[in-house]
Parts: sequence; structure tokens; C-alpha cells
Amino acid sequence: MMLVKIILTAIPFIWTIGMVPFINQVKPFVLGIPFFAFWMIAGIFVCFLCINGLYYIDNKKNRAR
Amino acid sequence: MSDQTSALLIIFLFVIGVTILGMVPGMRDHTKGGMQLEDWAVGGRNFGRWLNWFVLAGEIYTAFTFLGASGWAYARGGPTFYILGYGALAYLVGYYILPSMSPIGRKYNLMTQPDLIEHLYGSKTLGILTAIIGIAFLLPYLQLQLTGLGLIIETCSYGQITRVPAMLIAFMMVAAFVYFSGLKGVATTAVVKDVIMIIAILFFGIYLPTHYFGSVGGMFEALDTAKPGFLSLPGGTKNLDVSWVMSTLVVTSLGFYMWPHFATNSFSAKNPDVLRHNAVYLPLYQICLLFPMLVGFTALLILAEPLKTPDMAFMVIVQQLFPAWVLGLVGGAGALACMVPAGDLLLSTSMLFTRNVYGRTFGKELTPYGQARMARFVVLGLTAIALSLAIFLPNMLVNLLLTGYSGVTQFFPMIVLGLFWGKATRLGAYAGLIVGEILVFGLILGKMDPLAIGGMNLNAGFVALFFNFIIYVAISLLSSSDKHLVSDKAQDL
Repeated sequence: MMLVKIILTAIPFIWTIGMVPFINQVKPFVLGIPFFAFWMIAGIFVCFLCINGLYYIDNKKNRAR
Repeated sequence: MSDQTSALLIIFLFVIGVTILGMVPGMRDHTKGGMQLEDWAVGGRNFGRWLNWFVLAGEIYTAFTFLGASGWAYARGGPTFYILGYGALAYLVGYYILPSMSPIGRKYNLMTQPDLIEHLYGSKTLGILTAIIGIAFLLPYLQLQLTGLGLIIETCSYGQITRVPAMLIAFMMVAAFVYFSGLKGVATTAVVKDVIMIIAILFFGIYLPTHYFGSVGGMFEALDTAKPGFLSLPGGTKNLDVSWVMSTLVVTSLGFYMWPHFATNSFSAKNPDVLRHNAVYLPLYQICLLFPMLVGFTALLILAEPLKTPDMAFMVIVQQLFPAWVLGLVGGAGALACMVPAGDLLLSTSMLFTRNVYGRTFGKELTPYGQARMARFVVLGLTAIALSLAIFLPNMLVNLLLTGYSGVTQFFPMIVLGLFWGKATRLGAYAGLIVGEILVFGLILGKMDPLAIGGMNLNAGFVALFFNFIIYVAISLLSSSDKHLVSDKAQDL
């Protein structure tokens, strides 16, 4: 479970910070938004899902205790 | 009724309405027989999910969001998009830090960030140092809110009311509701402020591009044709490139919860689960930050004359295209976006001064009741100081403000390793903090932010944090025989 938590914590950082050198472009527009901006917004959802996962794991642990 | 009066009337109705609303919770407590410091500063530690949400989230939609994000988009283009990235990461960091802090706070009756430092490292002096550094970075932040408010009122009155009287009136009102209600007043008004702000930015962010270019996509297409490359890095700037965005995202996401007022806010949570649960949903709140940027980009395409103050892009476009009452509504929302965060900042700064500086030096005899009374008077004093700085020396604190985010980020190793790392020592904390702050001041005041090194442009706060961290760990390991940490680690609770 620890490993899952580490991965869930790392993914948003890799997505939003680590990937910046590879996504610095205007085209293609996604949903009308420049690609760089789109990537950052997608990062918000990725982060939301990951924190959700962490919360789910931690909650299960708390209930089991 | 002329344009000026109707716009101003609407703004003042907003401001007065919110002041009254903010004072209500305090009045209720007064009738129950006096407010303790704990009620005033950390809301009696019984904030559930909703109030906690608005206290934490309320800090996102400030005057900076409104004016700054649109101004950055207008002037800088692509680099602005970093703003979309850091918040969500900050909440992920907060998911780990805040729920660990709040039980310690409850157990040892902590109310401020220096309280926590003092507790973790068993050192009063380190607590006082943290408090003084914290105040130095909070005061200019407070002044920024004031100046923003002045600008808004000036624009909305079409130049009829000058900045100074406007700031005087509005800040007396902020001081009034903080004085009477404390954190509960801030939280209540934050609810109203956020709802109005979101309606305003959603409306203008969608309406303006759609009206002029058919759709948001159409606006971006037009901008990309008019200014190729403006929407990627480094956009309209020379050195805000990929390395700057990456290092800035590190600084802002780690530094976010290092602002002293967030410690006070997190101690207001009823239990750690409130903080965890809210961390799950707070990232989604960040999406709205895109909309003021859309306003800024549209302004760049349609405003005929270039703006002298890019931060006014939002207000100017509304002033030029809409009737006065709409400008009044926007100005009202903007005024709230200045007043409510200012209330939170005032409260925290007052606590830092009363509890952690005065209470630890000259005022050791002060009873908790005396502290409570004094903290509330200090609010009035701080308002006066911030006002006179904003009026008489508007530029003096600009330097401190520039260093603000980078400056508070230097607390990160001290707080986080202090909470989670068994080998952290007091000496390590001193060394890391001092090196970090000196580097921040040196680099930023020496105009070396971003720092050009090895073909990269690094955020100065990032460079300082890097050395701060290494020194903290190295000195801690060297002095680990010298036990300084109080036994309670976060995981023991």
C-alpha cells in the first residue's frame, strides 16, 4: 500500500512539473485551448483523482483500525 | 444618477453588507459572555467541512486572482499558465502536512505557525525569529490588498474618488469585522466573496471571447495568429522559460501552505479528516483560475491602446464595454476579494505579533485573556501601519513583496522535516532558515531573479530552497547527538 501511495503522490508532480519541457507548445488546440494550458488543466484533474485515491486508502486504514 | 455615483453606490453597498455580515458571528458570541482568544483566532477549533473549505479556499480568489491573472495573461502570455498548475500540487502537499499539524495544535493549544516551530524544536528564540520573518512577509501582502482596493475604487469612480479616502474607509471596515468576529467573520464573508467572484469571472471569461470571436477557441486562434508563440513559453517575456516554470512550480506548490496564516487556519479544523477531505476537492476549485486569463487575452486583442498597468486589464475592459452598474458589480466583487483576504492576513499578523513576539519577550505576564484583548487592539494598529505605508511609501515594500513567496517557502524544510523526520535538530533549522532567507534577499534584491545559470532561468526561491534543504539535512545529521526535538512526531498522534 505504501508503494501505491508513493506512486499516487508522484504522478501529479511528474505530470505538472516533470512534463513541462515536452508539452511547451501552442498546437494542437484541445477543446479550443492551447496545448500547454490544456495540459495544466488536465493536471488538476489528475491531481484530484490521485488525492481521491490517497483519501480512499487512508480512510480504509482508519476504519480497519 | 450619474455613472460614477451608481458604480460607487453598488461597491459601497457590497462593502457595507459584507462588513455587517462579518460582524454577526462575533456579536452572537458576545451575548454568550465574552470571546476567548481561541474563539477569535482559530474559531474555537470547531470548523467543519464547509467553513474550513471557505477559509482555505478563500485565499485563492484574492485580488491577485482577479487582477493579477488577467494582467499576467495580458502582458506575459504563456508563462501565466503556471498559475493553473501550482494550486492542485499545493493541496497534495497540504494533504500530508495539515492533518499532521492540526492534532498537535489541539493537544498543545497551538494557534500560530511560530507556536508550532517553538513546540517542534523546543526553542523560544526560533519561534520569535519565525514570527518576525512571517510578519515581514505578511505586511506587504496586506498592503498589496489595500493598493488593489484603491485601484479598483479609483477606476470605478472614473477618477472621482482618489485612492486614499477609498482605502481609509474600506480598511476601517475590515478592521471592524476582524476586531469583532475574528476567524469566524472571515470565514462567513469568504463564502459570499467566493460565490460572487466565481459568478463574475465565469461570466466575463466566457462572454467576452464568445462575443468578439465566436468562442473561446476562436479567441485563442486569433491570438495565435496575431502573436505566434505568445501562448507558449516564454511567451511575451525573455526569460520566463521552461526551467523558470518548473522551478516556480516547485516553489509555489511547496511554499503555498508555508504562509503563516494557513497554520492558523488549519488549527481551526474540527478534526484532521476535515482537512483531508477538503484537500480532495480543493484542486477542482483551481479550474476557475482559467477564466480571468481569458479576459486578459481578450483585452490584449481588442483594447486599442496598450495599458500602462496590465493588472487593470480586467477593470478597464469592463469599464469600456459595459454600463456603469456592471462596473459597480465587478468592482464590488473585486473589493471583497481584497477585503476578505486582508481580514485573514490582519488576524494572523496580529496573532504573530501578540503571541509570538510580544508575548515571548516583554509580555510574559500577559494572561490568555489579556492576549485576546491585545490581539484585537493590535489589529487596529496594524491597519494603521499598513494604511500609512500604502499612502506614504507605496514603493518601499515592493521589494519585500517580491521576496514574499520565495521567503515563506524557506520555512518548508523546517516545518515538514520537523514534523516527519526523526533526526531533525534545532541547529539544522536555524542554519537552513538563515541561509535560505539570506539567499532569497540577496538574489531578489540583487535583481538576480530568475537566476540565469547553466542555460536555465531558475526561480530564486528554488535556488535558496535547494541550499536551505541541503544545509538543514547536513547540520541536522552532524548535530544529531544533540537532541533538540520534542518527542511528539506527527505519526505518534
